[in-house]
Amino acid sequence: MRLRAEYLVGSDLKFLGNLDMMNLMSRAMRRAGIPFALSEGFNPHIKLSMGTVLPVGVWGDKEYFDLELTQDMDPNEFMKKMNHVLPLEMEIKQCVKIDEKEPALMKIINAASYTFILKLIDHGYFDISDRIMSQNELLVRSRGKQKGIDKDLRPGIFKITVNFQQESVMISIWVNVGEPVNVRYDELLELLEDYGIEREEVVDIFRSGNFIRAGNLFYSPFEKVS
Amino acid sequence: MKDKIFRDILPNVSKPARYTGSEVNIIKKDWNRSRIKMAFAFPDVYEVGMSHVGSKILYGLINEKSDHLLERVYAPWPDMERELRRHEIPLFALESFRPLSEFDVIGFTLQYELAITNVLNMLDMAGIPLWSKDRHEQFPLVIAGGPVVFNPEPYADFIDVFLLGDGEEVLTEFLDCCWDNQHLKRQDRLLKLASIEGIYVPSLYNVKYNEDRTFSQITPLIASVPHTIKKRVVIDLDNAYFPDKPVLPYMTIVHDRAVLEVMRGCQRGCRFCHAGMVYRPVRERSIETLKRQADQQLASTGYDEIGLTSLSTLDYSGVDSLVKDLVKKYREQGTGVSLPSLRVDAFSIELANEVQKVRKTTLTLAPEAGTQRMRDMINKNVTEEQLLEAVKAAFKSGWLSIKLYFMDGLPGETDADLEGILDLLKKVRTLGDEHARKKVEIRASIASFVPKAHTPFQWQRQNTIQELEEKRRVLTRSKMKRIRMSFHDSRTSFLEGVLSRGDRRLAVPIHLAWQKGSKFDGWSEYFNFSRWMEAFRDSDIDPDFYTSRLRSYDEILPWDFIDTGVSKAYLQNENEKAAAGITTGDCRWDGCSGCGICPAYEIDLDIKEEIGR
Repeated sequence: MRLRAEYLVGSDLKFLGNLDMMNLMSRAMRRAGIPFALSEGFNPHIKLSMGTVLPVGVWGDKEYFDLELTQDMDPNEFMKKMNHVLPLEMEIKQCVKIDEKEPALMKIINAASYTFILKLIDHGYFDISDRIMSQNELLVRSRGKQKGIDKDLRPGIFKITVNFQQESVMISIWVNVGEPVNVRYDELLELLEDYGIEREEVVDIFRSGNFIRAGNLFYSPFEKVS
Repeated sequence: MKDKIFRDILPNVSKPARYTGSEVNIIKKDWNRSRIKMAFAFPDVYEVGMSHVGSKILYGLINEKSDHLLERVYAPWPDMERELRRHEIPLFALESFRPLSEFDVIGFTLQYELAITNVLNMLDMAGIPLWSKDRHEQFPLVIAGGPVVFNPEPYADFIDVFLLGDGEEVLTEFLDCCWDNQHLKRQDRLLKLASIEGIYVPSLYNVKYNEDRTFSQITPLIASVPHTIKKRVVIDLDNAYFPDKPVLPYMTIVHDRAVLEVMRGCQRGCRFCHAGMVYRPVRERSIETLKRQADQQLASTGYDEIGLTSLSTLDYSGVDSLVKDLVKKYREQGTGVSLPSLRVDAFSIELANEVQKVRKTTLTLAPEAGTQRMRDMINKNVTEEQLLEAVKAAFKSGWLSIKLYFMDGLPGETDADLEGILDLLKKVRTLGDEHARKKVEIRASIASFVPKAHTPFQWQRQNTIQELEEKRRVLTRSKMKRIRMSFHDSRTSFLEGVLSRGDRRLAVPIHLAWQKGSKFDGWSEYFNFSRWMEAFRDSDIDPDFYTSRLRSYDEILPWDFIDTGVSKAYLQNENEKAAAGITTGDCRWDGCSGCGICPAYEIDLDIKEEIGR
């Protein structure tokens, strides 16, 4: 049996690396007594596959993993048992049974949204989306594989929304994940800086979603299961 | 405070998960409702400190079983230190994020001599005066324990109170005494504390030296203060506290597994071994207790590996059935068992094979010396035949790489003993060629012998750096295929030697070395030898005085007033037997060797299972 889960990685846990996150989840499964399936070989590990890596320093509101079980288990029961043992700042928010043939998260997730929370300062935030999206080219220093080389983010940015709250502003940017342009959150920070938003104004950053993009539509990994 | 650290500091440092706290099984006690507030300070980086079993025991013991509070703090890595100092944030504890200066007690564990510079650095980062005499009423008491403080003297000017022996036996009593006497002035509180067995308050003693710079005497300044300090011992280890819910780190640590302490102490009697002498007597836990502890730890942590720890795990009387039972019970869940360095015999290999059913680990053996003559001198009761038999068994059962531990610079060592190491390595490789299915890889790790206080070799001279370098040249003269040798830094060993048999006069150069920038001296990337040599020069201290001098039996040693329960007469006799090449048997089957520990604590060997040879 196979499960797909959506979970929260809270602010206290935003400094964990990907391996740390895998260990945290695997150990929670052992504590919860989940009937997980193990891989073969000299170092057996739980057949757990995580979605795209959550960058260190960023918390995640909707992250995903798939898990193989050796016996049937009610997804709600799984959720209940896991949430009982998970640390305070981590929570499984949804869980469904998926088909064994369903493609892996890593293969289908091709977009993500990052949200930047800024201190509300008298400032021209309201048109930042237009100002950015009207450009043909958005050059930043690449932070990824080709470190330091100029990289054009424009083809990897799909939309930008701005939400005004009482004392803050939330700017969410929907970006491409993987080929052809993988957009990183630190590159977005530089982009925002180029458009007049200082580093000190950014009080929090999180990944607000992971998506399967089809044209202008963004589906969550839950909406795309058969 | 926490918000500021998360927002402004942690994004700029390596491995920020070292400093976030809030791990699974963390205990956050109510500050205002707790009695004495103690910060347990480990003078090394998080992933090293979190692996230390003693810390896990004391953390659980004080927080679960007493009304006091114990929080954790580790040495910040230099990048973190830089950030904290830049933002003027004092060193804080991981549970409450409170600065160390708000605690009543700061307790350091000294696992390694060179950690002392990190102790000073951590105090400095906390805004606490480094010298004991400068800490007035409002400052926390700074205490220290751990194996290194069996010779506390080099650190005596920095530490208010030393705790000697098994921490779980004395720490609660210490904290209770602090609570009961909190209305007293610092000086009077220290006097109260000094009356507890196992507690040493250095400021209550006067130290004298002879004309020839040797140690003359240490005397109490006040009549009620004891002349000798007797270490504390947990008599009934089986019923002693052990944590069922250890803190589970988020990041990978050095020993990232559930841990069972199968026994404490070792009776093998290797003459160079500090731990083997100071942690006597041998006390075992029962198989039932250990199996219950394994169950509870796995349930509370979700670890997929159980490590069996002690000074010589393969000597634990119940090791065979314990390992087999654990493997059988947890195999289905993919949870394995790991053994530390193995004993050199075929039984060990058989057990290692048992462990391999679940997870692959490296095979490590410690013959320590290359010739029978030298192994007899150090009382490492292993023959070449036993070693080769063990290695052969390992290759036959599929191991392809073996790691061997050796020492050089041992008393009476000649070139023949060094050649012996090389010959042994070649013989091991030949066995691999004959019995393994593929080409084998042999790794040899060679440490320099450092004479330690309270051991039979405490009178011996240590090889100089030049002598050790020459020996290294002999050992690496010809390249050997598929044999890789690694060496400990001889300069680090030298400094370790100075501190391990040092006295109070070393406080000045230690302080100077720290001032010049020494910290993380156990890490080769930070260790700077010339800084230390400058510190010795500037303080007019000759470090060779502590290392390269053969001490006479008449000499009063700076650590003689610390009573480990092992008699000085026994140590002297062992040193004599070493010179004569006579071995001493294992007291479990060869009869009492007369070390004195059992009568000192009115106990017998505490062995749980029937043992055959």
